[in-house]
Amino acid sequence: MEGVSYQRFPKVKIRELKDDYAKFELRDTDASMANALRRVMIAEVPTIAIDLVEIEVNSSVLNDEFIAHRLGLIPLTSERAMSMRFSRDCDACDGDGQCEFCSVEFHLRAKCMNDQTLDVTSKDLYSSDHTVVPVDFTDSAGYDSSEQRGIIIVKLRRGQELRLRAIARKGIGKDHAKWSPAATVTFMYEAEIHINEDLMETLTLEEKQSFVESSPTRVFDIDPNTQQVVVVDPEAYTYDDEVIKKAEAMGKPGLVEIYAKEDSFIFTVESTGAIKASQLVLNAIEILKQKLDAVRLSEDTVEADDQFGELGAHMRGG
Amino acid sequence: MEGQSKRRPGQLPSAKELEELKELFRHHIESFDYMIDGGLEIMLKRVKPVQIIDSFSNKTLRIWLDHPEVYPPQKERSSKTSVGALHPFECRQAKISYTGSLHIDVCFQWDGGVVIREKVNFGEFPIMLRSKRCYLRDADAKKLVACKEESSEMGGYFILNGLERVVRLLILPKRNYPMSLVRNSFRDRREGYTDKAVVIRCVREDLSSVTVKLYYLHNGSARLGFWIQGREYMLPVGIVLKALIDTSDHEIYTKLTCCYNEKNGEVKGAVGTQLVGERTKIILDEVRHLALFTQEQCLQHIGEHFQPVMEGMESENYSSVADAVLRNYIFVHLSDNNDKFNLIIFMVQKLFSLIDQTSAPDNSDSLQNQEVLLPGHLITIYLKEKLEDWLRKGKKLIEDMINNKDKNFDFCSLKDVKKVMDKNSAKQISAAIENLLKTGRLITQTGLDLQQRAGFTVQAERLNYLRFISFFRSVHRGASFAGLRTTSVRKLLPESWGFLCPVHTPDGEPCGLLNHMTCTCRITSYYNSQGNIRDFFKIRMSILDVLVGVGMTTSWPKVDHAGPPQVLPVLLDGCVIGSLPSGEADKVVAHLRRLKVSAASVIPDDLEVGYVPLSLGGTYPGLFLFTTPSRFIRPVRNISIPSVDGKDIELIGPFEQVFMEIKCPDGGNGGRSNSFPATHEELTPTAMLSVVANLTPWSDHNQSPRNMYQCQMAKQTMAFSLQAIQSRADQKLYHLQTPQTPIVRTKTYTKYCMDNYPSGTNAIVAVLAYTGYDMEDAMILNKSSVERGMCHGQIYQTETIDLCDSKSKSDRGQRIFKREHSDKSISSFVDSDGLPYVGQVIHPNAPYCSTINQVTNSKKIFNRKGSETAIVDYVTVDTKNKKHLQKVNIRFRHPRNPVIGDKFSSRHGQKGVCSQLWADIDMPFSGVTGMRPDLIINPHAFPSRMTIAMLLESVAAKGGSLHGKFVDATPFSDAVKGANGKTETESDSLVDELGSMLRDRGFNYHGVEVLYSGVYGTELTCEIFIGPVYYQRLRHMVSDKYQVRATGQVDQITRQPIKGRKRGGGVRFGEMERDAMLAHGAAYLLHDRLHTCSDYHIADVCSLCGSILTTAIVQPPKRVVREIGGLPPAKAPKKVTCHACQTSKGMETVAMPYVFRYLAAELAAMNIKMTIQLSSGAGA
Repeated sequence: MEGVSYQRFPKVKIRELKDDYAKFELRDTDASMANALRRVMIAEVPTIAIDLVEIEVNSSVLNDEFIAHRLGLIPLTSERAMSMRFSRDCDACDGDGQCEFCSVEFHLRAKCMNDQTLDVTSKDLYSSDHTVVPVDFTDSAGYDSSEQRGIIIVKLRRGQELRLRAIARKGIGKDHAKWSPAATVTFMYEAEIHINEDLMETLTLEEKQSFVESSPTRVFDIDPNTQQVVVVDPEAYTYDDEVIKKAEAMGKPGLVEIYAKEDSFIFTVESTGAIKASQLVLNAIEILKQKLDAVRLSEDTVEADDQFGELGAHMRGG
Repeated sequence: MEGQSKRRPGQLPSAKELEELKELFRHHIESFDYMIDGGLEIMLKRVKPVQIIDSFSNKTLRIWLDHPEVYPPQKERSSKTSVGALHPFECRQAKISYTGSLHIDVCFQWDGGVVIREKVNFGEFPIMLRSKRCYLRDADAKKLVACKEESSEMGGYFILNGLERVVRLLILPKRNYPMSLVRNSFRDRREGYTDKAVVIRCVREDLSSVTVKLYYLHNGSARLGFWIQGREYMLPVGIVLKALIDTSDHEIYTKLTCCYNEKNGEVKGAVGTQLVGERTKIILDEVRHLALFTQEQCLQHIGEHFQPVMEGMESENYSSVADAVLRNYIFVHLSDNNDKFNLIIFMVQKLFSLIDQTSAPDNSDSLQNQEVLLPGHLITIYLKEKLEDWLRKGKKLIEDMINNKDKNFDFCSLKDVKKVMDKNSAKQISAAIENLLKTGRLITQTGLDLQQRAGFTVQAERLNYLRFISFFRSVHRGASFAGLRTTSVRKLLPESWGFLCPVHTPDGEPCGLLNHMTCTCRITSYYNSQGNIRDFFKIRMSILDVLVGVGMTTSWPKVDHAGPPQVLPVLLDGCVIGSLPSGEADKVVAHLRRLKVSAASVIPDDLEVGYVPLSLGGTYPGLFLFTTPSRFIRPVRNISIPSVDGKDIELIGPFEQVFMEIKCPDGGNGGRSNSFPATHEELTPTAMLSVVANLTPWSDHNQSPRNMYQCQMAKQTMAFSLQAIQSRADQKLYHLQTPQTPIVRTKTYTKYCMDNYPSGTNAIVAVLAYTGYDMEDAMILNKSSVERGMCHGQIYQTETIDLCDSKSKSDRGQRIFKREHSDKSISSFVDSDGLPYVGQVIHPNAPYCSTINQVTNSKKIFNRKGSETAIVDYVTVDTKNKKHLQKVNIRFRHPRNPVIGDKFSSRHGQKGVCSQLWADIDMPFSGVTGMRPDLIINPHAFPSRMTIAMLLESVAAKGGSLHGKFVDATPFSDAVKGANGKTETESDSLVDELGSMLRDRGFNYHGVEVLYSGVYGTELTCEIFIGPVYYQRLRHMVSDKYQVRATGQVDQITRQPIKGRKRGGGVRFGEMERDAMLAHGAAYLLHDRLHTCSDYHIADVCSLCGSILTTAIVQPPKRVVREIGGLPPAKAPKKVTCHACQTSKGMETVAMPYVFRYLAAELAAMNIKMTIQLSSGAGA
């Protein structure tokens, strides 16, 4: 088996890119790679989130833990997260929030002075670091700016007050969901759809119509000119086998054949806003690399080289 | 859903929205209101005045009660100057009772002279919330919130010592209706009695009741039995008949035999037989043998025998004693002797027909013959007895003073009399009522004609709102039935259709005994729909007028009536008012029903027209009309009469329902033949379910026991318990942090404003066997979902520290809340005022409160018990007291976020325990949407349980979320058809409707999706059913239940580990567990559990005498021990001797359970010696 290499060179083709949304194709790799990427994006790309809350005054209707929990779930802009340290690894401090390498301090002071209910939102959080602030959704979402005043933390009535100090730290989604930068990451196998044209021609127009409608998503359509069934959107296919079952019910098995391409995936990434979707993918690849490096460079691996031989060499880039 | 309330967040519910909710509590409040409005007044009139005769001055004093007044609750009872309203929330927090003072005029009259009225304070009387004496009576939502109540507070309960208690509704036999019963116990009454009797529970105007039984004897005669002071007396029915009115044997004979006509033979509805005449002769002969011929003779006879038991009538003549007996114990609901006479005639006829099997016995377990005991009524009759006792005691005290010839006592002086009466405190009367409500126990001599003495009230727990509501809707059959072995009382009978919910009853011990009223079921009250007190006399007169108008012959002029089947007897509230030709009956009933429905008539809308038609061997026929309160009623649509301006809703009772033709509104005829068309129609098919049962979506698609389980589980859900949680001091409160309203909901949610108290979460549920951690009803929760707040909750626990209530009386009033300034050890926990900081985390055994005795300067620190960390949530202080505060409430908060072992349930009786918090990335995900489920359950949960509605809910909720709307899941909605035979929905099948909702949005019709393994990223081999299902978090949580111990406290006597989770005890390794170990042959494990880890003991045994009790350690004489070679001195070997043998030879050590030694000691105490023979293991 000398000389056989399993190395592949995956290709990425970006289809759509927005701040909090990305869609791309990943080709020439296998499911383990695609899933590893997905898992890393959800659980291991670091972000910054409020982790420690010191409450000075809380006379609101929500209790301290509730507010602390809500604060934790507010997405903070985390471009800096990759270069920050985990506070547990930080040598410069003992993790008390004063250290610029591992933590950011926030302050919140709100008191309702009049009869109107006061909404305390993420905009009321004052950060000690201008690069780490609550995510601003006003522009991108397209809602009325008057309605979007940030994420509501608590509502205060006359005389109620909330005063607290919060420390945000770097963390990963594996530890707590609040550190997960991804709202949704999913991938699908690209579908390959073959229509048996000869068999299709035996159908009447009504039968074609009902065949097309049997799929809950719009995968097929009838060409208005040729009145032939054509595939309009193979990616809309959800592998629900509805059309295949329909074909069988019509007594025409083999009318369509659908395969999943084992080596190409369509990724959809939605970010919480903490990191831009594009950055999220890049960070994920970076972390995946680091993880592989950790496997490759750990002493165990060197020792295990003898056992795995070729695989070990492969992993070291050979 | 169009019915969805359009209320904005923060807006209070309007009165109209709460109207339906109010109905659920109405019977409690109305019964209490009536008591205050008129019930007490009428009751006092019935309290017998006492007469005291001073034999020296020969003056008589008459004392009676009049004019009750109940005042609203006031603060500061001790000082008369400052008066302030006492609000319910203050009572809850201060752990005091919500009571107002009860004042009654005590009237004194000497020798028929001037009446002197004295207003006497009868103590603090418990006030029901939102009754007429409550401050919240007319409060709207805004005022309620200002009074720190729930915005939808409905009242109906009492606050006693800060606890909310409700009077449990109790089933009683229907009042004023003669029931024929067959019971073996009747045989044991006396020699010659059969097992058959006709029983009537007569209720006076003041609501106290007396049960009269008419027994049948083997010789053909009958005895009238009634209770006086805990003893039953039986009178021959002939004597009573003759004593009641001046009558002749002939009249009695014709009246009794009128129901038999030779010509009738065996026709339908003939109740009399030839034997009736024979029996009548026996009855009359009995009286003749006693030589009683006239009314006067009979009265003399009765009076002579009853004088000893009639209190206060020692000096009366016999006939007035007899009058009193007849008046106070026989048919007390009637005042006229002629009416009583006619009723006995009717009852004898019914009894004879029961004997001759021309009519069937009535079923006392059936709702047809039952009514309900309401809180106000219970309190009234209890109060009556207590007041009578009080007067009697007062009389005795005065008589004692007279007999003692006390110089200082002047019988004619009001002051002296009052002084003597004051010895018998009047305030204890209200205290007795308060005690009844606090404990639910009656302390009574007579028993008040009730079957039980305890269990009248229960605490209304606010675990969640559904549980709270259910306390007001529950009806208990009676504690005496709980012990019965037979299951007949627990049966679900068709008579209770529409009144009691067939689904909502607990399983287990109280199954079938504790029922719940359906959501439309109401209880009749003293108030009419306008809220005025009914004048029953006027109502009865107008009913009589109506009946005479349609051809009834009244019974008043003494004419000879025929009996069934020619004519039907007509009874109005247990009074025979006449007879009706049986051919006319149908018409008369229809006429009465028409009058009932029409608003203009004087006939009340809840009149029960119990028309029992002629039958062969069925229920005894007649027309039984009831206007009385505390009957069950429910609305149905009367379709036999033309609807007059939309008024066609008739209120019917369980007695009449049995003989009515009511169809389901499904457009069909219910399988009836055309000769018996339906006259009535159900309003909705869901009216047969209780409020809680109505909340199960599509319960008609579930296996029925699952719906029962859901009713129970809904009541133990950890939900949004209270809105006014900040001003409550409940001992324990469960609270869900972020509840949601269900996507799939029944109409009931909106109808009763259930969204004010949501009780669960719409979780994305995938049904698949994944990882094996979802076996056997376990479920996997998504760790990230939980971290984002799903099912988070907390427990609030309040501790009240009352220094006045301190056990040691010595330092009462000397203790204050304070922390010594020098005390630094607790300063981080306790503030200088002795109370904890709000928001402070208190660890187990950490201090949270400190008090100091001002005199002795001794301090006491309260340490937190238990093994759980808590947070101080709130501290309230009672500032009522003078200088220093004496009473504080400290509320702790225990965070209870989901952990492994917590219990969850869907709304379909599908409960499960969380077995893993599974990482989000390892959960299966949908390739299209990227969704990961919040929760995974096993598909095996479905086939045997058949909870199809849960599958429907999942599909519907998915469709609803995709379309952004709520989905109506009212059960039986496909059975409701309008006049045109169309159902509400367009689609012919529910599944099709739900499936197309999904298809419209590009989802699979059947609710399944292709999922990918979260671990491998590959497609799962089958499609997975996934969708949102409303999940409830149940209150059973591991944190409250786990029990673990390695070593710890042991029992003093046996030295075995103690039991009890609280004390750190162990779990019992019992006999069956032992058997299992034996069966496995796990001898070492068994030895470990039962011996080594239990009461392992090394005993010294004397092998000479075989005793383990006589051995003793001999203390070696102290001698100087020297160190040898720098090593510590060797321990001298223990020297043991046997006292009995006086030697230490033959001492052996043996390992044994310590209880064995205890056994030997116990046996020795009984002079039994136990000897142990030792042998080496090899020799054995």
